[in-house]
Amino acid sequence: MSNLLIGNPTSEYERQIKAPGGIYQNATGSSPTIAQGLNMTPTTTAPLFQMPSVAPPESAYSTGLSPQQQASLLGTIPASEESSGLLSGLLGGGGVSNLLGAGAGALLAQQAYRRLGDIGDRAMSGAEDIAQLGLEQTQFRPFTVTSATGGMFGVDPQGGTTMTLSPEEQALQSSLLGGAGQFFGQAQMPTAEREAAIYDRMRATMSPEEERQRLALEERLASQGRLGVRTAQYGGAPEQFAMAQAQEEARNRAMLGAMQQAQTEQAQQAALGQQFLGAGYIPQAQLLAATQPAMTTAQIQQRGQLEGAGLFGEARMSGLEALLSSGIGQANLFGQIGSGLLSQSLQPVLQPQSSSIEDLIKQYGIGKVQELLGLGG
Amino acid sequence: MSQELKSINLIAPAFRGVNTEDSPIAQDPSFADVADNAVIDKRGRIAARKGFEVITTSATPLGSNPITVIHEFEDGAGVTEVLSAGNNKIFKGTTTLTDITPGSYTINDNNWKVVNFNNKAYFFQKNQEPVVYDGTSAVKLSTVSGAAGITGKYGNEVLSAFGRLWVAGVTNDTSTIYWSDLLIGHDFSGGTSGSINLDKVWPDGYDEVVALSAHNNLLIIFGRHSIVVYQGAEAPATMSLADTINGVGCVDRDTVQYTGTDVIFLSHTGLRSFGRVIQEKSMPITSLSKTVTKDIIALLQNETESFRSVYSPEESFYLITFAGQTTTYCFDTRGTLEDGSFRATRWPSSVFKAYERLQNGKVYIGTTHGISEYKSYTDNNAKYRFRYYSPSLTFGDPSRVKFLKKIKPTIVGGNSSSIFMKFAYDFNTAYRTTKFTTGNQLPAYFGINEFHGDDPGDESNPLSEFTAGKLTSQVSLNAAGGGTSIVVGLEADINGSELSLQEINILALIGKIL
Repeated sequence: MSNLLIGNPTSEYERQIKAPGGIYQNATGSSPTIAQGLNMTPTTTAPLFQMPSVAPPESAYSTGLSPQQQASLLGTIPASEESSGLLSGLLGGGGVSNLLGAGAGALLAQQAYRRLGDIGDRAMSGAEDIAQLGLEQTQFRPFTVTSATGGMFGVDPQGGTTMTLSPEEQALQSSLLGGAGQFFGQAQMPTAEREAAIYDRMRATMSPEEERQRLALEERLASQGRLGVRTAQYGGAPEQFAMAQAQEEARNRAMLGAMQQAQTEQAQQAALGQQFLGAGYIPQAQLLAATQPAMTTAQIQQRGQLEGAGLFGEARMSGLEALLSSGIGQANLFGQIGSGLLSQSLQPVLQPQSSSIEDLIKQYGIGKVQELLGLGG
Repeated sequence: MSQELKSINLIAPAFRGVNTEDSPIAQDPSFADVADNAVIDKRGRIAARKGFEVITTSATPLGSNPITVIHEFEDGAGVTEVLSAGNNKIFKGTTTLTDITPGSYTINDNNWKVVNFNNKAYFFQKNQEPVVYDGTSAVKLSTVSGAAGITGKYGNEVLSAFGRLWVAGVTNDTSTIYWSDLLIGHDFSGGTSGSINLDKVWPDGYDEVVALSAHNNLLIIFGRHSIVVYQGAEAPATMSLADTINGVGCVDRDTVQYTGTDVIFLSHTGLRSFGRVIQEKSMPITSLSKTVTKDIIALLQNETESFRSVYSPEESFYLITFAGQTTTYCFDTRGTLEDGSFRATRWPSSVFKAYERLQNGKVYIGTTHGISEYKSYTDNNAKYRFRYYSPSLTFGDPSRVKFLKKIKPTIVGGNSSSIFMKFAYDFNTAYRTTKFTTGNQLPAYFGINEFHGDDPGDESNPLSEFTAGKLTSQVSLNAAGGGTSIVVGLEADINGSELSLQEINILALIGKIL
């Protein structure tokens, strides 16, 4: 039994439902685009950014379902001779005719019930397909940014990033980071050794003058005959004590100065290490900075991609919803026809009468009846 | 035809003292070739020195040893006390020598130098721990409460000046002078105490401190052959060298005496005056013993025991005794000769071992008898010989022969003294001697035998209301022989009476020219 709703239209009704823009779309023929279906005008200008290279499905411009899917979704109502005979029989008269009408009505109601169940399953399957397509369409696309100085910033499909500096930048970075390490290392060193070194240098500067002063004092004391003076109060002569005290104070100041200088140098080393460390990351920072415009454009691209995927999903969902609505209508029509036949056959026969359905067909034509019965597509 | 006697009058002979430096020929008769146990008296005549009277009643603590140190201690209240040392002991007192030697202290020598300082007397000598006497008892310096730094300060010389004790002459540290803390004589390591080493100061590179002196606000440091002078010693830490004198030093600490305006000391070239040394920078003319220089040098070179000296403005002399050679030289300090030297006389066979001039002007002498006073005219009641010999006299004409006919000495004093007048010709030491006795004069005492006593023959009670004036003996002695040069001598045993040689008048015939 052939399906009257599927296949080549054999009547006006079929042509209507199978015409372009109708509910059913020929999967094998040249179908209009989904935009056309949605009454949208596709742009022919080049996109600002390349959209994800997701190959559109064959029925991208229809419901997105293959003809088989659509057939499965709508069910197979065989348009065979048996069906035609049965209907003819149904449209025949007499008691038999009533009995046949009751049977046909029950059969149609059963068909309607089955179809509604199938439509739910198929809607679920179709939605999953659309979601899968949405995932594919919104999938992240890797990209690479190359700076003017040769550095490269790459993003792989998994979102991992890779930064590669140019050889010059790498050399500079190595130098700076190495220097930072040295400075930090020096800053971490104990200051005692440096203090001693600074103190020695300061003393080396001071010692000649101290020696001159000592010799001058010695000469003065010698001229005064006081070289041999030793006192309990001062140790030597008061002048010697004063000089020794001054020299010791100078040594103390030098020692404190050396300590402060060492600490200052330590702080300077730390600061230099910090500066070198910061400078060492400048090539990387500059590379990252160079990626910011690319990131913006990537975000713009992603936004378009996401919006396109959203529109795509929405359109596909709209087609799917329409297809489901038509299936539901068909099922309802089967159910009405079936219930009508069933109720009529169960009424008592008072006069011969013609079949009401036959009368309806004769009066309005088969297409109209099918439409009324909801047997269309 | 008889020739006229020529009178040669030697007025106040030898009033210039002994002169052994110039040639005996044609020497001025105002010098003497020998003037033993003599002084220049207040009238400028040569006279017998005084003797000594022993004050100490018992010299038992001394054994047979002399008093070698006498010192007058005066405390802050002005109470004086005589301290002395001898027989390795320290004494106080004069008539009775009270042993104040610190207990359990063995003294090995008696060459103490004693000074007064801040109500105490300090005793220092080489290699002996110093002793301090506080007016009651003497103790070792290290035992004084608060004593510090005493060890190693066992100096041979000590000076009390500028508010401190100054110590020098430490064995193996002879160039260092230590000074005590201010007014604390027992603290040599605290306060403002200190020291000065003169190794780099001596003008000739090396010397050792022999004596210290303070004069004219200067600290005078006598080396053996140089002198350094410091100024500003009130603050020893900042005192500075004021002067150095090379070639003149001091032979011994005990030869240094203050005259008030000068410092006299004995150098290895004779007696020196510091003031003149400073002025003239040790020119030879400044020697105060120029007339006996060689004798002095000979004595000091041979001296192995000790030197002792004293200056007495009352007696106007500076005595220096070479104790080991029992010789004392007396230098009259009333004035100087044309060459700046003092008039010198010699006291041979001197038993004087210590001197001290007391504040009352007395001169105390240390002998084996104990403490004596320089007074009267016997040496502990023993006579001593006064000797005078003129230089060789030619009476201005050495080419002619002189025949002595008369010698008329004029002697002042010498109550019943035996005088030996001597003369010799042509440097002959075999003198011809003529003895005579001076007059006798007993003093008249008030109310005693004024109108003849019961025994008119007792000469000890003169029949006189008043004592006569100075006893003067003028005798005329016959002489004989002849020669071109004549030496006239006079010797007298001094035994209780002073004796001065006023003049010698010689009558001689001048003979032919030889």
